[in-house]
Amino acid sequence: MMQTVTLKIDGTPVRATKGSSVLDAALECGICIPHLCHVPSLKDTGACRICIVENVRNGGSSVTASCTLTAQEGMVIRTNTEKIRKLRHNIAEMLVAQAPNSKAVQDVAVRCGVKEVRYPFRNDNCIQCGRCVRYCTEMWRANALGFVGRGKNRRVEFPFATRPEFCKNCGSCTLYCPMSVTPCGGPMKRGEESLCGKCESQTVMTPGMIGACVRCDLGKGFQCTRHVL
Amino acid sequence: MPKLNHCSDLEALRQKLQEDRKCIQSTIIIPNGTCCQASNSPAVINAIRKELARQGIDKNVQVHLTGCHGFCEQEPMILFEPGNLIYCHVTPEDAKEIVARTVKNGEIIDRLLYTDPVSGKKFRTETEIPFYQAQDRQLLAYNKWVDPCSIEDYIAVGGYKALAKTLTGIAPKTVIEEIKSSGLRGRGGGGFPTGRKWAEARSVPEDEKYVVCNADEGDPGAYMDRCVLESNPHLVIEGMMIGAWAVGARQGYIYVRNEYPLAVQHARLAVKRARELGLLGENILGSPFSFDVDVARGGGAFVCGESTALMTSLEGKVGEPRPKDIHTVKEGLWNKPSVLNNVETWANVPSIIVNGSGWFASKGTKGSKGTKIFALTGQVKNTGLVEIAMGTTLHDIIFKIGGGPKNGKAIKAVQTGGPSGGCLPVSKFDIPVDFDTLYETGSMMGSGGMVVMDEGTCMVDVAKYFLKFLQDESCGKCVPCRVGVDRMLEIVTDITEGRGSREQISLLQELAETVAETSLCGLGKTASNPVLSTMRYFADEYAAHVDEKRCPAGVCKELIHYDILAEKCTGCGVCLRSCPYDAIKGVKKKVHAIEEQICLKCGICVTECKYDAIAVG
Amino acid sequence: MSMTTIDPILEGRRSQPSQLIEVLQDVQEICGYIPQDAMKTVAKELGVPLMEVYRVVNFYKAFTLKPRGKNVFTICTGTACHVRGSDLLIDQVKGQLKVEPGDTTKDGLFTVESVNCLGACALAPIVVQNGSYLDHMTPAKLRKIIEKTRETKKKKEALNA
Repeated sequence: MMQTVTLKIDGTPVRATKGSSVLDAALECGICIPHLCHVPSLKDTGACRICIVENVRNGGSSVTASCTLTAQEGMVIRTNTEKIRKLRHNIAEMLVAQAPNSKAVQDVAVRCGVKEVRYPFRNDNCIQCGRCVRYCTEMWRANALGFVGRGKNRRVEFPFATRPEFCKNCGSCTLYCPMSVTPCGGPMKRGEESLCGKCESQTVMTPGMIGACVRCDLGKGFQCTRHVL
Repeated sequence: MPKLNHCSDLEALRQKLQEDRKCIQSTIIIPNGTCCQASNSPAVINAIRKELARQGIDKNVQVHLTGCHGFCEQEPMILFEPGNLIYCHVTPEDAKEIVARTVKNGEIIDRLLYTDPVSGKKFRTETEIPFYQAQDRQLLAYNKWVDPCSIEDYIAVGGYKALAKTLTGIAPKTVIEEIKSSGLRGRGGGGFPTGRKWAEARSVPEDEKYVVCNADEGDPGAYMDRCVLESNPHLVIEGMMIGAWAVGARQGYIYVRNEYPLAVQHARLAVKRARELGLLGENILGSPFSFDVDVARGGGAFVCGESTALMTSLEGKVGEPRPKDIHTVKEGLWNKPSVLNNVETWANVPSIIVNGSGWFASKGTKGSKGTKIFALTGQVKNTGLVEIAMGTTLHDIIFKIGGGPKNGKAIKAVQTGGPSGGCLPVSKFDIPVDFDTLYETGSMMGSGGMVVMDEGTCMVDVAKYFLKFLQDESCGKCVPCRVGVDRMLEIVTDITEGRGSREQISLLQELAETVAETSLCGLGKTASNPVLSTMRYFADEYAAHVDEKRCPAGVCKELIHYDILAEKCTGCGVCLRSCPYDAIKGVKKKVHAIEEQICLKCGICVTECKYDAIAVG
Repeated sequence: MSMTTIDPILEGRRSQPSQLIEVLQDVQEICGYIPQDAMKTVAKELGVPLMEVYRVVNFYKAFTLKPRGKNVFTICTGTACHVRGSDLLIDQVKGQLKVEPGDTTKDGLFTVESVNCLGACALAPIVVQNGSYLDHMTPAKLRKIIEKTRETKKKKEALNA
């Protein structure tokens, strides 16, 4: 028999499989915590920080990524406080300023309430979500792609920047890349980047819908578990 | 030397070594740590040895090489015992006179005595020197008597007594209680109660556990750990052994950063010597306790000072931190319970066991017990390593020990805690140095780096410096740190280059708070501290840069202007020759001129001009 | 570069992935950089994916992918050195040698690197020349040392010619 734990997410008691993450537990129950680098079949790394929640304990609360937080008995989680919304907004704003040429990133930005971008736009072609690396390493076990370098110079690369013979040519790296689908208005040229704002999420985002799934369609090949189901 | 199979063997050896040392009539102690070697101490040592042999007295006098004593500004130094006479700034050319006059005839060479930069007074003995007097040197005091390459020296001064005491009669739980009562808190920066950490590790029902020493001291401007590990590696090993006994570990690792080759060398040699004597290995001193240590080198990454990144690096991987929702005391190195402590934390353990927790707790403040070593550097007269009781004020450290400003410019701020810490203004100098007080003022104790800054330092530039450092060292995994630090740097750079606006200042504040709250690891979480603390205490400097496009300290290149003053310029041409960009033109003996379009305001000409003829405005 | 050069380094460490960084440190010391072939051999012998070895080499500053110049000048840019003008030393070297930190001059004579603190802060600013620590450095001193090194090389070449 499957072991479960019960925790409270936004006041709602949620039963989760022991060992699952808070993000998984929430998505199972239709509580939408926005996320970007999470992929159901792959290991969570906590890289994008969009899925942050407040973990209430010891009279206070700490902000942490829900994808790497293991659900535990008695946990009290808040996914949509003013503080979390503001922090999520700021992270999404940073991401869309960095790589506006992705429908998924633009959609997440709008979903997180970004209405204007206060930074100069850049035109990166990678948001380092790690999907390609994780598919290659965990799913196909080819180890042909990896994160190379540090900080600003960190990039996804083949060994010696050349596609190796042991690459399995599965195509997962391009198929699941959030940058492979450009924004609705088309690819943005350098100097003409903008906040697209066309995501249908915008139409369903009302203040009353705290935590509920908004069926936001975060880009093709990119849907959250809830939406797929 | 034969193996020590029992505590009584250790005591017998100790007695013998102490007896042997009593027979030595006079000792010439010469510090030979990394800084000392950078000041040319090996040449001094060779010269002294040559002279002693040449003048025929090398049989009665022992030359004792030790690690760093902490008074780095005065290197190369020589100490004579008995008598405690101290000579500073010794050159190899002085060797002949030193041996002939001081060693042979007991005469004092006046010009080699220490001159206090504040009072101008000369001091003969080490203990009289104000720099040392104001300190409470518990850990650093050992460095004078111990040759880092000699386990015998360490045993002679009382080494491994604490280990013997522990193994013969203190149960692991009791050791943990002692450490808890002492109030010892992590010296690496976090200040986490050490006893509590050990207790948590002990409580995990797991056979395989590890103790790890964090010697990755990456904070620029901090070198306390280098000094302790390089000068007295056995002290650290002994501390780790007691910790391993307490938590149930059989293997330890000392992770030393790649940039400390001498510390790596000395640590490895110490481990070798300890193994030879049976102080590491199976059934140590005849007890059921078996333990060994390996020394691993870092690869050159500041982020590897973070506990999870360090452990990942020890496993032979890229040093990217892991989320800390599961503590490393439960799942650390190879997912086993691991106790990671800083060099200085481990070094404090033996004396707590020998002297008792009460002795340790009698020093310091309510929340911060014992002593702490700080690396006092920057614009102060006396730079070096200082060990003080917690609770000493910043003012006393900077003025009483540090001797006040170095270059005649008024002191403006002190930076504590490295890139994770903050800058505090003079108005805060009366606060006692204490984990919690420093945290409340917006800085932190950090590992112990204390950089003093004067009127010639631009605080916005300081924020930019730390952001550049963090941008370089960020592992890049999470968005807030990788992108956030980069954007903070972009804004601060705009401000220092005259493009800043009030909106950017508000955005910077908000961004800094976001990075602090949402980053994955400690590096990102504390990355905002330099920005937040300088904005809090030096808002006027930010305002000048933004509203007036002016840099009050005269540092930010785009906001300053270099001019050669006609009334002062003698046409000597030194500036012309020193300019790496050929931006200065002029004829000999006629007033020179700087070509603005070429000038990159590197400041080299200003430092070279002997007539103060170059104005920066 | 023959791979037998690194055989002694692999002794006692084969099939031990945790030894990767130590092995690479030794390769760097012996070869002066990490050659591609060495990475492939190390990957195979230690049982670590090539991608991982490549990642480790690119992550840690101790490892270089290109051979260094004959004279390596490492300028410390730690806080204490910065406050005492390490930026001036970087400017000096950029202007005199026309290279950025991390690069080697075209004639292969000089490599300039920067490091984020060597722990000799009381003697700031520090420059390390081929492993020797030079303290209280100024741009003028550095310029002279670089000029002298060039002179020495020219003299040597003239003798050999």
